[in-house]
Amino acid sequence: MADTTGSDMKPGSFMSEKSAKIFVAGHRGLVGSAIVRKLQESGFTNLLLRTHSDLDLTNQADVESFFSTEKPAYVILAAAKVGGIHANNTYPADFIAVNLQIQTNVIHSAYTNGVKKLLFLGSSCIYPKFAPQPIPESALLTGPLEPTNEWYAIAKIAGIKMCQAYRIQHQWDAISGMPTNLYGPNDNFHPENSHVLPALMRRFHEAKVNNAEEVVVWGSGSPLREFLHVDDLADACVFLMEKYSGFEHVNVGSGVEVTIKELAELVKEVVGFEGKLVWDCTKPDGTPRKLMDSSKLASLGWTPKVSIRDGLRQTYDWYLENVVQKQQ
Amino acid sequence: MKPGSFMSEKSAKIFVAGHRGLVGSAIVRKLQESGFTNLLLRTHSDLDLTNQADVESFFSTEKPAYVILAAAKVGGIHANNTYPADFIAVNLQIQTNVIHSAYTNGVKKLLFLGSSCIYPKFAPQPIPESALLTGPLEPTNEWYAIAKIAGIKMCQAYRIQHQWDAISGMPTNLYGPNDNFHPENSHVLPALMRRFHEAKVNNAEEVVVWGSGSPLREFLHVDDLADACVFLMEKYSGFEHVNVGSGVEVTIKELAELVKEVVGFEGKLVWDCTKPDGTPRKLMDSSKLASLGWTPKVSIRDGLRQTYDWYLENVVQKQQ
Repeated sequence: MADTTGSDMKPGSFMSEKSAKIFVAGHRGLVGSAIVRKLQESGFTNLLLRTHSDLDLTNQADVESFFSTEKPAYVILAAAKVGGIHANNTYPADFIAVNLQIQTNVIHSAYTNGVKKLLFLGSSCIYPKFAPQPIPESALLTGPLEPTNEWYAIAKIAGIKMCQAYRIQHQWDAISGMPTNLYGPNDNFHPENSHVLPALMRRFHEAKVNNAEEVVVWGSGSPLREFLHVDDLADACVFLMEKYSGFEHVNVGSGVEVTIKELAELVKEVVGFEGKLVWDCTKPDGTPRKLMDSSKLASLGWTPKVSIRDGLRQTYDWYLENVVQKQQ
Repeated sequence: MKPGSFMSEKSAKIFVAGHRGLVGSAIVRKLQESGFTNLLLRTHSDLDLTNQADVESFFSTEKPAYVILAAAKVGGIHANNTYPADFIAVNLQIQTNVIHSAYTNGVKKLLFLGSSCIYPKFAPQPIPESALLTGPLEPTNEWYAIAKIAGIKMCQAYRIQHQWDAISGMPTNLYGPNDNFHPENSHVLPALMRRFHEAKVNNAEEVVVWGSGSPLREFLHVDDLADACVFLMEKYSGFEHVNVGSGVEVTIKELAELVKEVVGFEGKLVWDCTKPDGTPRKLMDSSKLASLGWTPKVSIRDGLRQTYDWYLENVVQKQQ
């Protein structure tokens, strides 16, 4: 049985290998693109990046061939099929199968082709619907999942377990990081299937541009949520690659909660919408609180740097340059 | 429940994955006895189910009408503890490849088989289907269990998204012909059988068994499982997985005494109470399957006799 209680920390070598080949799977998504930015800022010069059309990660033979040819030293697995409630409900087979295929192919081929260390990324969806708040790592598999994303969640849990199993059997350095709700550049601002923060930003922006009188938001505004800027997540990923070689997955949160009301008011202010913010209390609130317990990561020495106000401002600037202007 | 068509299609092509194992071989016997004439069978060396391209090519060429997925990497506590990566990865690969290629190549119905390991360590006894994912798994087989749970969920997801008929059956402890009688990594029933046989042949004075003998266990003869599989293929098209048990519990002491009697060992049976008992009770709640109209037929005494006869012909004689 693996030593799951001993030291999780091994002297790092990641940061000292600035020319080591690092494969960032999913480099064009919200998470992957932030990780690429962070690695580049940190001086890494040898990033191995492949678009979906160049490399289909669900294809076992292609993934094996890729790893066999390229032999990266490190892998950060940020590629996944993701989506909101509606997408999960409508395409559950895709959500479970594609994610299982990507993970199984990449983790196995990474191991067999001599990758030194792999970081697998998931999300807070892995935890039980009624997990204690804040949610500690130990809550994993202690109760039923949230039905609306159980397909994705099961796949991600299997990924964590694959990393652990390869660590035990092969003494291979595979770690897992589980971020809280993320926001930032490259997020999905689609009017129908984006998450709450980019949805609010888009709606306030459109209301400002159209001189609308008000924006109506569902619910009472009282549920508490945690948000982490994706640049902070990328920073945590580099930190974990350098400093963490433990068996257990690691929660990556900001520890900073806001009510949906506080969030909406902040977004309104950052966007500069001057009309009214109205709450439709006949609509459902969703879960009352969702906060990850990130004390394990804090005890390793990592803290987030991006305040929500600064993060929202930076995100809105990105939205204006990259989404709004491109539509014009 | 949907009106069945399986039993009326005796020449339909049926792929039984894992046809040489304990479960798969029993399913093949049952299908043949039932008059099915078109069984598609491939050994591991002919078809590596962990190879996505090979599995896709196989399904695309063969286009079976039905699939029974009884192929898996299985083993006891020691094997799971030593090879956890193999247990999770191989099973995920087999399942993902077979379920996906079966769907995309027009298979009409697929039955996925797992085991009672999928349930939480501290599930209520008897264990109902609803206990799934309600608590932590037994650590010694969590790798296998997670893979099997993912298989159940894949079947459910394909049913929702594609309205495809994929069902899952979860058997209790099985025994019968083609079981693993290896002295070091077999399960309790074949282990007892082998040990009593060897003690009889060697005129030993006694056989020592670990524990107090008091834990309760359920056993199902694999021919009953095969019968239940055919029943489910014919009659069940539900979302939820189905427990397949006998509902008949015995204490380890009762089991040991039965095996001793069936084998004909006349020495002493001694209990080493300093050794651990393991979990006090493990019984599946098979009332859902019973309410569908299925009951097991093989009594444990008859099942043990039949298994011992098989053991003598196929294991003992082959060693000579």
